[in-house]
Amino acid sequence: MRPILLQGHERSITQIKYNRDGDLLFTVAKDPVVNVWYSVNGERLGTYNGHTGAVWCVDVDWETRHVLSGSADNSCRLWDCETGKQLAHLQTNSAVRTCGFDFGGNIIMFSTDKQMGYQCFVNFFDLRDPSQIEDNEPYMKINCSESKITSAVWGPLGENVIAGHENGELNLYSAKSGEIVNSIKEHSKQINDIQASRDMTMFITASKDCSAKLFDCTTLEHQKSFRTERPVNSAALSPNYDHVVLGGGQEAMDVTTTSTRIGKFEARFFHVAIEEEFGRVKGHFGPINSLAFHPDGKSYSSGGEDGYVRIHYFDQQYFDFEFES
Amino acid sequence: MPTGDYDSKPSWADQVEEEGEDVEPLSPACPAIVKDHGYVLDTPREVINGNIKTITEYKLDENDKKIKIVRTFKIETLKASKVVARRKNWKKFGNSEFDPPGPNVATTTVSDDVLMTFITNKEDLNNQEEEDPMNKLKGQKIVSCRICKGDHWTTRCPYKDTLGPMQKELAEQLGLSSADKEKAPGAEPEPAQAPVSKTGKYVPPSLRDGGSRRGESMQPNRRADDNATIRVTNLSEDTRETDLQELFRPFGSISRIYLAKDKTTGQSKGFAFISFHRREDAARAIAGVSGFGYDHLILNVEWAKPSTN
Repeated sequence: MRPILLQGHERSITQIKYNRDGDLLFTVAKDPVVNVWYSVNGERLGTYNGHTGAVWCVDVDWETRHVLSGSADNSCRLWDCETGKQLAHLQTNSAVRTCGFDFGGNIIMFSTDKQMGYQCFVNFFDLRDPSQIEDNEPYMKINCSESKITSAVWGPLGENVIAGHENGELNLYSAKSGEIVNSIKEHSKQINDIQASRDMTMFITASKDCSAKLFDCTTLEHQKSFRTERPVNSAALSPNYDHVVLGGGQEAMDVTTTSTRIGKFEARFFHVAIEEEFGRVKGHFGPINSLAFHPDGKSYSSGGEDGYVRIHYFDQQYFDFEFES
Repeated sequence: MPTGDYDSKPSWADQVEEEGEDVEPLSPACPAIVKDHGYVLDTPREVINGNIKTITEYKLDENDKKIKIVRTFKIETLKASKVVARRKNWKKFGNSEFDPPGPNVATTTVSDDVLMTFITNKEDLNNQEEEDPMNKLKGQKIVSCRICKGDHWTTRCPYKDTLGPMQKELAEQLGLSSADKEKAPGAEPEPAQAPVSKTGKYVPPSLRDGGSRRGESMQPNRRADDNATIRVTNLSEDTRETDLQELFRPFGSISRIYLAKDKTTGQSKGFAFISFHRREDAARAIAGVSGFGYDHLILNVEWAKPSTN
C-alpha cells in the first residue's frame, strides 16, 4: 500500500478521528490548527482557526454538522463543520483534555486537566440551551479530584461517559446524575486512549503500561488483553474484522536518546479473540499518538509524534489473510 | 440508501510517472508562454482518454534547462451516499480557502510504498520443531549427572547448555596436549571436571582463588590481569554479562568482564573481554570455548592484545 501523507501540522499529532461516514478525517496536534481532510484522496477541506494553544482532542457529531475541539489554551470550541466558523467558545480554568458529542449531537462533554491549582472536571453542556453557552455554565459538572482524566468517550445511547484516568482506573460516569456507575482498575498506568467499537458494545483502552485491553461498555468487564513491549498510545477496533490495531512506541521524551531501530514505531495488528499479533505496518519516524479505523474497515489512519498523518488503504493481502490457529 | 454519483477528484494516488506518449492536445492552438529568459514554453496540456487523464507540463529547472513533466491520473468514479457526495462539493475554508480543487502538494503527498509484515504462526511452529530434537538429544545423553557430578539428573544440571559440550571438547584437547597422553582422548572427561566441582558449590569470596588479595580491583595492578585476559568475538546481540559469567566461570575465577555494548540500544556489539585471575584458567578457557557454538554463533576466543594506552 502507498500511504497518503498529510502534512497539515507543525507539531506532533494528538488525535485523529473519522466522521461517521468516513469521508472526512479530523486531525489535531500540538499546534493551534484543527484540520479536516477528505479521506479518499487526502485533500484538505479546511482548517478551523481560532485556538491559541496545543489542541488535545477533537470530535465530530453523528451527522457531521458540528466539530468540537479542546485545547490547552483553556478553551473548548464548537465549529460549523462546513464553513469552519466558530459557533461557541467555552472558557475553562485549565487545559481541555478530552471532548465528545453524544449520539444526538446535542449534548457535549469535555474534561479539563488538573493543573495550576484547578481540579479535573467533566463538564456537560446542552447545546439546545443557548444560555448555558452564553453564561459558560454547564448543566452538570463532575469533580474528579483523585486522578485526572486522560481519555474519555461517550458510552452507548449517551447514558454515560467512560473515562480513563491517569492512575489506570476506568470509571463509568452517568451523564444524568454524574455518579460513578461502575469502576474498574485493570491498568497500572495512565490510559492514553479509549475507542468504542462501532456497535458501542465494547471499547478498547490503550495504556502506558504497555498493554491495550478490551472491556464491555456497560459492565466494564475485562475481556481481552493485548501486550506489547512499549507504551501503547492508541488502539482502534476494526469495524468489520476481528482485528485491533495498536500504536505506540517509546515515550516521546526518550526518542532522541535512542536510535530509531529499537523504537518500535510500527502500527501493530492483533486478532481480537486470539490476542495474538499478526501484522505490522512501519512508517512513522516517532511513536504513533493516535489511530483510527475508517468506518468501512478498508483503510486506517495514524498520526504520529513526527507530525504526520498517514492514511493507509489496505492491500488485498490484508483481506485475504486468515489467522491460522 | 439513496445514492448520488459524484466525480471524485483525480486520484493522484494513482499518479504514475512515465514517459508520455504523443498525445493530441485538447486545444490545438496552444498559445506559447514566453519567459524572461526568452525561452518559449508550451502551455500545459490536459488530455482525457477514457478514465486516464494526462497532464503534460513544461518547466525550466534551476539550470535553465527545459524539462517536461508528464503526469498521468486515473479518474475513478465512486458511488457514495448523498450526504457524502454533498460534502465532497463543500467549499474549502480556513488555511485551504484558496487551494485549487484537488489535493494540494504542500499538504498532501504520497509516501513510499509500505507493506504490512505478516507474522504467521507457521514460522513459530518451525522454530519449535527445530528446537525439539535438540532438547531430546540432551535428554537422552546420560542418566546421572556427568557434567557437574551433582546428585541431580544431567538434564537438570544448570551447566547443561554451556558446560556440557564444552567439556567434551576440552577433554579431547587436554587429552592430546596435557601431560596424561597415555589416556585415550575422550575416554574419560576427568581432567575437565576438576575446575567445575571447585566452582559448583558456593565459595565465600574470602576463600576463593585470589580472594586473599582483597580490594584488588582498586589497586593499579591491572598489568598483571592483562596477561590473563581473553577476547571473545562473534557473540550474539542478546548476550549479557551474566551469560558470559555463566559461560566462563567454570574455567576459573574471573576478575573482570567487559562486554562492549551499543551506547544507544544497550545491545551487545559482539565482543567482550574476560580477565581471569590466573593465566592458566584463561588458557583453558581459550581451549575450551574457542569454536564453541553459542546462541547459533560460533565463538572465537583468543588472547587479548595488550591495550596501547
